[in-house]
Amino acid sequence: MAEISWGYVALLLISVFIGSVSQVLLKKSANKTYDSPIKEYLNPLVIFAYILFFGTTLLAVFAYRGIPLSLGPVLEATGYIYVTFFGVYIFKERMTKKKLLALALIIGGIVIYAFGL
Amino acid sequence: MKSSVKVLLALHLLLAFYSLSNVASKYAAQVEFLSPAFIALYGAVLFILAIYALGWQQIIKRMPLTTAYANKAVTIIWGIIFGLIFFGEGVTLPMLIGAVVIMAGIVLFAIEDGRMQEEAEASLSKAEAAPLPLNSPASDEDTLSSDSSNEVS
Repeated sequence: MAEISWGYVALLLISVFIGSVSQVLLKKSANKTYDSPIKEYLNPLVIFAYILFFGTTLLAVFAYRGIPLSLGPVLEATGYIYVTFFGVYIFKERMTKKKLLALALIIGGIVIYAFGL
Repeated sequence: MKSSVKVLLALHLLLAFYSLSNVASKYAAQVEFLSPAFIALYGAVLFILAIYALGWQQIIKRMPLTTAYANKAVTIIWGIIFGLIFFGEGVTLPMLIGAVVIMAGIVLFAIEDGRMQEEAEASLSKAEAAPLPLNSPASDEDTLSSDSSNEVS
């Protein structure tokens, strides 16, 4: 994995983080009730979420200038960490030992993948 | 072939297709920003993501969400395979071990998330079925379920 450059790794990690924020906004919108089906799709929250998502696809393209293709989906797995964090702090979901173990496996796997054993 | 196997197969075809969006992303990364080639490749990225979103909606109507999410872990394998095929990227043992560990994490996450979701839904429907105490403070949830609780009691 000689061709990894850390600036581009950071760029993709930022992209994944923004993607998670976009997901949270969509979930927040899904939890609300709207007076019309059109408003369910065309409201500021949803539109902003999709703009963010669009931005993440562009950021990912720039990130791929400096990272191998195979590293992309590996770094995308960090999304589970952010989504869990938002779940606990915004949606007041419970944190369980098994979820903590799952996140530890994901992080550990990424470290093994990038740095070797 | 059983229909559940067909849905699983469709999901895996869809996930392989989705993984091609990263291939298009990386090709787009190698050409000049906003050049015709860039626009075509980036357009391909958005096209694949749109098809994926539509396909995913159809899949999760026919399969438990937990199963669908757990199977998403396979995109890591596609990343390694497509990296090798399209860009001649090397594959090392630590990469494969790391990939397996990450995938185990994703599958465990999906299973646990699904279990928690079910638990939350079960306790919600239980709360709706149970009669409310008469002098309970009126919160949003109370007003939502008060009609049905009156019928029960």
